[in-house]
Amino acid sequence: MTTQITEYHHMPLARRRLLIASRWLVQAAIMTVAAGLVMWLGFAVREALARKGIQFSFGYLGNAANFSLSEGLVPSLDDIQSILEPFSPSHSNLQALLAGLWNSLKVALSAIVLCTLFGTMVGIGRLSTNWLVRNLSFGLVEGVRNTPLLIQIVFWYFAVVLSFPPANAASNWFGGLLVSRAGVFLPGLAISESSGLASWGLLAAAFASAATAIVLQALRLRLILLAVTACALIATAVVGFPLAFDLPSATRFGARGGIALSPEMTALLLAIVVNSSAYVAEIVRGAIDALPKGQWEASASLGLSRSHTLRDIILPQVFRIVLPSLANRYISLTKDTSLGIAIGYPDLFNVYGTVSNQTGRNLEGVVIVMLTYLTLSWIISACVNAVNARVNAPGGVR
Amino acid sequence: MTGVVLRWLRRNLFGNPFDTALSLVVIPVLAWAAYAFAYWILVEAHWEVIRGSLKVLMTGIYPTDQLWRAWFSVATLCAMFGAGLGLAVRPTRTALTIVALAGTLMAAIVANVIDVPSGMLTTASASLGVAAWIGVDHSALGHRIALPGLLVGVVAIFVVLSPPGFEVWGGLLLSIVLTIAVSILTLPFGILLALGRQSRIASLRVISTAYIETMRSVPLILVIYWIWIIVPLLAPDTSVPGLLRGMAGFALFFAAYVAEYVRSGLQAVPKGQIEAARSLAMSSWTVNVDIVLPQALRVVIPSLVGQILDIFNGATLVFIIGLTDFLRAGQMILADPQNSGRTYEIYVFLFAVYFTIGGAITYASRRLETHLAKGSR
Repeated sequence: MTTQITEYHHMPLARRRLLIASRWLVQAAIMTVAAGLVMWLGFAVREALARKGIQFSFGYLGNAANFSLSEGLVPSLDDIQSILEPFSPSHSNLQALLAGLWNSLKVALSAIVLCTLFGTMVGIGRLSTNWLVRNLSFGLVEGVRNTPLLIQIVFWYFAVVLSFPPANAASNWFGGLLVSRAGVFLPGLAISESSGLASWGLLAAAFASAATAIVLQALRLRLILLAVTACALIATAVVGFPLAFDLPSATRFGARGGIALSPEMTALLLAIVVNSSAYVAEIVRGAIDALPKGQWEASASLGLSRSHTLRDIILPQVFRIVLPSLANRYISLTKDTSLGIAIGYPDLFNVYGTVSNQTGRNLEGVVIVMLTYLTLSWIISACVNAVNARVNAPGGVR
Repeated sequence: MTGVVLRWLRRNLFGNPFDTALSLVVIPVLAWAAYAFAYWILVEAHWEVIRGSLKVLMTGIYPTDQLWRAWFSVATLCAMFGAGLGLAVRPTRTALTIVALAGTLMAAIVANVIDVPSGMLTTASASLGVAAWIGVDHSALGHRIALPGLLVGVVAIFVVLSPPGFEVWGGLLLSIVLTIAVSILTLPFGILLALGRQSRIASLRVISTAYIETMRSVPLILVIYWIWIIVPLLAPDTSVPGLLRGMAGFALFFAAYVAEYVRSGLQAVPKGQIEAARSLAMSSWTVNVDIVLPQALRVVIPSLVGQILDIFNGATLVFIIGLTDFLRAGQMILADPQNSGRTYEIYVFLFAVYFTIGGAITYASRRLETHLAKGSR
């Protein structure tokens, strides 16, 4: 091939054209074969489905689902007042899939936040000067990474969550956290009676100025904005705070108020958080190890303590390095939520299975679900890339 | 002696105020947990449930009168494992002693838990493995036939196990055979995809990249389920067993990951090598097969061994297509009302087995990494 390239400019024009044409032909042939394969697959499946009396179309998405889900919210079309409502069998198949997506995202987003926090802690623990902490972290990481995620999920569900006390004897932690077989109930925020336009406006102002303060670079502006935030918060408190803590109270079959996590969601979330934390810990530890030793030595010679060094010197640099690896982890984690089907958690894949069992529409369903997961992966890497670009920009946030 | 211990304690547990505080919290909690766990294992747990269900855990619903086929597979697997070991690790006296002790212990446990003939079969299998290890390590012939031998072994296992039907395969045996078959199947496909992604032909590059990226962003369970559904639609006249359909799904999925590992290996081969080979007028095929791939694959062997663990862990997902793997067999036993109180015993046993195998694969991967790194320096 190299000989061709070196001779290229000395070739007669006609031969050069022939070479270019033959290359195009190869490209065209490969594309035709590939397209033909995909089309053959599509047509064969369509044919097979047609023999069963099923036509390829997405019309079934509008039909009523006629099955129920144990949890999941859907955007409601008829009721303007409540934007999200619990899924019911009269909703459409599309809304069922959206409810599944909602459930997947609920677990994925919570797990992303929690596993980053917990994983960083374990990763630092792996490098602790305390022998016991170091080896405990190592054992946790190895134990989690060398066993299948699925057995961890079913273990958390059948062996841990389902052996919590029954609902009428729920154990109450710190007065606000109820743990029972019927689910876990966390304190939430609810709209209080004193909510009015003024109080909401003030609260929104407080949030807006706090957010701007985080984004802005200039120190003086930041201070002013933080002062504005404080004033707005105080004013809100005087007018009447629009939100109040909503503590769950136990009932016979569960609890009222607060944020309810179903037993399935609790188990899935626990399993995925513990599992992903082990991987995040390895990413963080690897990044800390990869930093030049001189960083530790320099800050030690300046008299900084180990925790100071970690907090102000090491971790800020680590988070610049680890972002791409974390993005990969977040994507795997989002895909892992599909294992919820093993314990009956109605995530996107589970709902897809139910819908296609009911309607026989596997092909359409798989297209939708695949595109959804692809989109989720893209969104996650786009978000992390955006943060990465900002953090790694010269003079970026530290 | 006490001085040494005290110094060690002081340095490793009570080095500074923060470590001291941590130790004071962790030690009592850990001691209590260790005591409770040991007490449960030795006193409270009812391990008869494992003895009673060992056959189901290991082979699922495989017919009892055909179990010799399973024993044949165990022996073949041991020989294959030994041969693989012989390619990478020297059978030193220490290593052999450890293996002999572990084998004897295992055989004693099996003889005690199941029956004496099974214990003897275990001993025979382990000896076969050790023989293969020493044989491959010592003779040049052994070295040459080891890799083809692995392929022959897999085929032999499939041939011997299949007569009662693929539907009855189950338990740990299913998980292991599936893992090995898929690991081998993904290699050629993954290498082709990696070469495709690096190809100078733009359309091949686009197609390979699209395939790899799509497979890497969808969940494994979706691919397995979908392939399982789609095959009967494509071939309505032949009935393809669920196991083979599942294996196809696994292979299609993990090939994308193998491709990415191989690509990292391809990138590690210095450009000068390819240019030098081309300037010797070698064809693209010769350059790839004789120059690039041998070096690239050498670099990625540890990652590929690590990938076997991912496949083994992923093999638990076959529950979605109705197969009874090791985990599913455990759940089946728990579904029996008379075992309903034995949740922890079963799960602890499953975890222990999974962790032993997973840990061994991880260890092998790390050993290979240092082993190969030594050669290249």
